Amino acid sequence: MASAITKSTVGLVSRVLPNRAQDWLVRSFSQPLVSQLTGKLTDQFLEVLLGGMSLAFTFSRDYRRNIEGFSATYVYTTRDGSVACSAVFDRGKMRMRREALPSWQTRVVFRDAGALRSFMLSDEPDSLESILADNVEVDGNLSNVYRMGFLARDLSRRLGVG
Amino acid sequence: MSAITLGDLSLKNIKLSPPLAALREAYFRAAPEVCPERPALVTKYSLEAGLFQRDRITSLDKARLYRKVLENRQPVVWHTRARQRTRDGMEEFSFQDTSPFAGSTTARFKGVPIYPEFLGLGLWPELWTISKRKANPYYLAEADAKTLNFDVFPHWMQHNITELARSRGSDQDRQRMRLLQMLLFFIASKPNCISHTIPDFSRAVREGLRRVIEDAQARHAQAGDPAAKEFYQAVVEVLEGIITYARRLAEAAASISARETDPVRKTALEEIARIYRRVPEQPAESFREGLTTIWLCWVAIHLENPDAGLSLGRLDQILYDLYRRDIDAGRLTVEQAVELLGYLWLKIGDHVPAVPNAGEQLFGGTGSNQAITVGGVDEEGRDAVNDLTYVMLRATELMMLRDPNLNARYHPEVHSDAYLRRLCEANLNTGATPALHNDRAVIQALTASGHTLAQARDYGVVGCVEPGSNGRMYSHSGALLVNLPAALELALFNGRHRRFGMDRLISIETGDPSSFATFAQFREAFRQQAVWLLDQAIATNDWLGRIHQQSYPTPVLSALFEGPMEKGRDLIDGGALLNASGIAIIGMADVADSLTAIETLVYQEGRINFAGLRDALRNDFKGHEPLLTRLRDPQRTPRFGNDHPQADASATWLLRTLDEAVQGRRNYRGGNYRVGYWTMTNHAGFGRLMGATPNGRKAGENFSSGITPNSGVTPFLTSALRSVAELPPECVTNGMAFNLKFTPEDGERGRVLDNFVAAVKGYFDATTMQPAGGMEIQFNVTSHRDFLEAVQDPSRYDQLLVRVSGYTAYFKDLNPQMQKEIIERTEYRLSTGEAVSYRAVPLAKGAAHG
Repeated sequence: MASAITKSTVGLVSRVLPNRAQDWLVRSFSQPLVSQLTGKLTDQFLEVLLGGMSLAFTFSRDYRRNIEGFSATYVYTTRDGSVACSAVFDRGKMRMRREALPSWQTRVVFRDAGALRSFMLSDEPDSLESILADNVEVDGNLSNVYRMGFLARDLSRRLGVG
Repeated sequence: MSAITLGDLSLKNIKLSPPLAALREAYFRAAPEVCPERPALVTKYSLEAGLFQRDRITSLDKARLYRKVLENRQPVVWHTRARQRTRDGMEEFSFQDTSPFAGSTTARFKGVPIYPEFLGLGLWPELWTISKRKANPYYLAEADAKTLNFDVFPHWMQHNITELARSRGSDQDRQRMRLLQMLLFFIASKPNCISHTIPDFSRAVREGLRRVIEDAQARHAQAGDPAAKEFYQAVVEVLEGIITYARRLAEAAASISARETDPVRKTALEEIARIYRRVPEQPAESFREGLTTIWLCWVAIHLENPDAGLSLGRLDQILYDLYRRDIDAGRLTVEQAVELLGYLWLKIGDHVPAVPNAGEQLFGGTGSNQAITVGGVDEEGRDAVNDLTYVMLRATELMMLRDPNLNARYHPEVHSDAYLRRLCEANLNTGATPALHNDRAVIQALTASGHTLAQARDYGVVGCVEPGSNGRMYSHSGALLVNLPAALELALFNGRHRRFGMDRLISIETGDPSSFATFAQFREAFRQQAVWLLDQAIATNDWLGRIHQQSYPTPVLSALFEGPMEKGRDLIDGGALLNASGIAIIGMADVADSLTAIETLVYQEGRINFAGLRDALRNDFKGHEPLLTRLRDPQRTPRFGNDHPQADASATWLLRTLDEAVQGRRNYRGGNYRVGYWTMTNHAGFGRLMGATPNGRKAGENFSSGITPNSGVTPFLTSALRSVAELPPECVTNGMAFNLKFTPEDGERGRVLDNFVAAVKGYFDATTMQPAGGMEIQFNVTSHRDFLEAVQDPSRYDQLLVRVSGYTAYFKDLNPQMQKEIIERTEYRLSTGEAVSYRAVPLAKGAAHG
């Protein structure tokens, strides 16, 4: 995924581009995410997904529109705390933090990367199984989970894998 | 009242007219389409009125909102386009609408209304995929998806019922919500709706809405209580909104008529315009006007209340005078009456509930469960069956729709054999409808739960099978669905559940069953766990009910109900004449059989101890095959439904125990709690989630439906009928669904029908144990072979109607687990009364494991 400097530079350039070109930029910088979404799942899935979203919000005006006026903090963590990330939405921007922030509106505790991907993106029966098998547990506002589900799928659609 | 003038009760010579048949064909071709109109307008006017900033929303706030929506929504007189599924997606097709009933629940021909105030946001993740999902896809245009994503859903993130309940609840409330989210213990439907009830249409039809408005204005002038004043003002607002909507439809019809060149269509449009200028504002003067009044009120009620279990009640009683007058005056023929009802039935079915993908996997295939009730006795106990009862039966036979869900009432001491025969014949013809209710047993149940005798006699059926006094009982009969086998699990594992591990205490510790010296001790532990489970469910329902009181009053429904006008109070605040909350118990037969099995094998025979039994359950009977065989053999282990005293006593004990557990409990509206035994598709859904049970049911297998004995248990129809008939109706005040499957036999039809009637009469007859007889019974008359073929080739059976456990559904829409359950229900030959052997169907993919 892009470094912070590359991201901000490309982000500035992308502002003058049409929507389709912006989506092309998102695709170009999101190959690690495409790999995770199309099968080669690793423990880095969460970080790669949130990083991909952050990048897409920076590059794509159209994708950014999805979070206009949206403020919420999500914490994602495995039950043992070995993986922890936070996504902070504030005034049309998203920041990813590689830690579980103490204050959140929605917290998702998951067993492993597979359970999380299934929960967020799958249309198959195992998305339900994730909850039933206690693979994923949600605290806080469920509406945020639905919105994040849309954001993840909208991104995978833009990447041509949804 | 003996009001039968029809020569042929079957009306078999009446067929669908070509225009109605064509519209019905278009209806079946059409895929459901998500309609953003309602959520977009509701959101817009909520923003304008500042409702998102309010902690408490009043009836008047809501009334003003709905009036605006009714004044501004698209007045669709006739639909012209719909979408159909093709190999490549959804393709538009056009058709010619000919309905005499203008207006629609959504702006689509077959729409999916969205209620973001409830669970509408659950569709958010699927906005780009819902048109292509495997289970029951809905068409959603890209522009409409964007409307929902940008203009609707974001505003409701903090303001839907679930989030309001979470954010306003105590820690204890949130703890119970956690239990709810585990999906294994109970389902509370208030995050999705209240709905389940029957409005009172009689006043709107008889007097017209203008008269009701004048009444509300007079009461407003006299009321001293500011809250009551505000409520009456709310009634005026919503009824003016409905009248305006009707006038706008009239103007639209007139406008289309002016451009129409086809003289037949032009006349039809002019007639719509004429009628819609009159009703529902004025009293209905014809049968068609009466139907129009009901239809327009129905549209407005669904604008306010989600499409789940709202029911229309005793339409053959409400409309009979208008029908009779028209027939007698020569203004209407029986054929025309059937035709009008056929069109209305299509309108009633013009919407499909929004079910997210995860919901489809568990509970897919449900319609809106809009019950209509026909027949029965009147408030004085006299025969109320009339010609219109038969006209409605014929319309139902011809249309063969999932919605409305027809229910027929029969009183063994009052009604003729000819009437019962006709009801059975309709079941043979449709394969699935109507459900039959025994007035004697239902009236006994309702009087036991606080209805007066007259109120009980005037009951209608809500949603699936739940009885409640017509137009005056705010019952929310589907408030809670309780997974009873979860209580058994908690008793077996001392308050723990296998899904969540033995180190996590879920409920209360009732002791390690291995230490129980007697079966009575185990049964007491189970009772305590069941009471605990009911306590959690009831507390959740009351808490959610209070959130509804703060944020979701229902002035439209309240204006069309008996009680709120007299009390000056919205339904949500206890305005109805009668109030209740309903509990549906899932897995009754499995628990009853499990208790009997434990009593027999552990305590009477000492065949196995609890450690061994739990080991068998944990391993899904692997390594315990002889035990499994023994448990599944009804000749060796008593099972409910086999006319075995011990097994039937287990079931009766369960019913009495659960009824006692809710006695004296008052809900947030001051009503009581009622227990019923109908399961919709939840016996398959919960079954899929639960591990093996002591009755020999393996992990993930379906529980038995409704109050029906387990499949394969009962080789003889009469045994099954007797076992269920002897259950105490006074403990089943929220209704029951007893599902039977008959083989559609070749041979002389009259003889088949004789046997059908004899079976039902036998079930409804008084027994020594139970003078009222069996309460309810419903049928599928389709063979195993046809069902199996329908699984293989759904397109050939796209209109195959089935009874699930309460409501009717299209077989093709059900999830695989539910299809399997229906296929494997015990099937009886009416000619012999014996069960037909069948081959087992492989368990659906994704089933649970122990």
